[in-house]
Amino acid sequence: MSRVKTAAMSSSERKAYYLNRLYMILPVISVLLLLLLWTTASLNSDFPSPVETWNRLIELFERPIKNKTIIGHTLASLTRVFLALAFNWTFGIAFGILIGWNKKCRALFTPLFNAFRAVPPLAWIPLITMWFGIGEFPKALTVIIGSIAAVVVNTQAGLSNVQQIYLDVGTMFNANVRQKLFQIAIPSALDAIFAGVRTSTSAAWMVVLAAEMLGAKSGVGFLITRGMDSMDMPLVLMSMAVIGIVGAMLAVVTQFAERLICPWTRKRSN
Amino acid sequence: MNAEKQDYKVVVKNLTKYFGDLHVLDNISFNIRKGEFLCVVGPTGCGKTTFLNLLTRIYTPTKGDLYIDGKPADPKKHNLAFVFQEPSAMPWLTVEQNLRFGLEIKKLSKKEIDERVNEIISLLGLEPFRKAYPHQLSVSTAQRIIIGRAFAMNPDLLLMDEPYGQMDIKLRFYLEDEVIRLWKKLGSTVVFITHNIEEAVYLAERILILTNKPTTIKEEVIVDLPRPRDVTSPEFVEIRKHVTEQIKWW
Repeated sequence: MSRVKTAAMSSSERKAYYLNRLYMILPVISVLLLLLLWTTASLNSDFPSPVETWNRLIELFERPIKNKTIIGHTLASLTRVFLALAFNWTFGIAFGILIGWNKKCRALFTPLFNAFRAVPPLAWIPLITMWFGIGEFPKALTVIIGSIAAVVVNTQAGLSNVQQIYLDVGTMFNANVRQKLFQIAIPSALDAIFAGVRTSTSAAWMVVLAAEMLGAKSGVGFLITRGMDSMDMPLVLMSMAVIGIVGAMLAVVTQFAERLICPWTRKRSN
Repeated sequence: MNAEKQDYKVVVKNLTKYFGDLHVLDNISFNIRKGEFLCVVGPTGCGKTTFLNLLTRIYTPTKGDLYIDGKPADPKKHNLAFVFQEPSAMPWLTVEQNLRFGLEIKKLSKKEIDERVNEIISLLGLEPFRKAYPHQLSVSTAQRIIIGRAFAMNPDLLLMDEPYGQMDIKLRFYLEDEVIRLWKKLGSTVVFITHNIEEAVYLAERILILTNKPTTIKEEVIVDLPRPRDVTSPEFVEIRKHVTEQIKWW
């Protein structure tokens, strides 16, 4: 079949055709290599093999931990992430627009904000625990602190780098400041804002796991701690694999959303 | 005297501009008739763009002023449109949305906007690209959006700053004819800045020749040739040579 397809091609076309095939196969090969390496490493040691890890996943469905299967724990983590992101995407973007658009506000807030974002989210945990205990809110707050900077920084950069010519077009049509902000500056900064949304999503997913490892009753981070405490390494590895897969899926979803909301960036992201 | 004054759409009086110590424009005065096509030529770096930016109020003059229909030019009252040298179609808007942009800023009624935009789309043959984004189009089509956006405003004064500077000769000829067609059809008053003398002679009813900085008007040349103009006719070549001589004087 493929010989029929390539028969009429010139040699360089045929080369390009096979190269394209290769690009499709290579990702699969890399996953298979990882599994092979993992299996080999686990053969003569206590390290759990991929099969054991898979079995641990099935077992978790049969005997849930704290009444939750892996799906329940993943949803618990995702809920915290999206609560935090909902806040970040509203207030973070609004604050980014404020300091990106208004020079006075930028001068007023930038030094404080730069100091704030230099402090790692984990450093806040003692204070947050002291103030708010260990419920759901402090976890969401930790995630907010850990992922808001990406949104603010990108939004601010987008707003302060609006090309002068677009604003001049507004001036010429006699647009007022509000029209310039909402019809020129914000739309032209949307791809930068979306870069912030993407980065904040992956940051939030990382921070939530860290937050859950410090005193939670649910979530994928909690599963890792539980696995560590009970020397249940298959559980730890299974959780890590789930974290990786969900993280990758989040990246795909945000990229898809960007293409949907900013169709004009499609060419560039391709 | 009064009747003559009524005939002028735009009156420029003693326009002067300094940037700090740099004297860019020196005491420029001229008038533009309603519906006239005026070309402005001058040596490179003579302040042509500064001159236009003063007309649009992106800059304010140091001295002198610009009157439209007898009143000081004011983007709030007057309808000015500008075609920039650089591509300035909004990348996040489709062709149609780009054409609607200025009209929506001016808050015209939806019916009026629909009518004008549809007219421009059909005049420019942009129907196949109505829903396309600028990055999906060729440079010349993207530039036509900007020209369409400007004409759609039914401007009191349409200012064009070397709009075809980046294009090859074939496209240039094509778009020059197009701009003439739009101008005739819509009766707009146009100020067209260019460094291409042939283009100026091809388009203009009148050419203003500017000097080096500090810029003043060196000469006005009336181009009274029938359209479409033949760039190889002796009269055309004569005017072109004359304008070239005038610019080369320094």
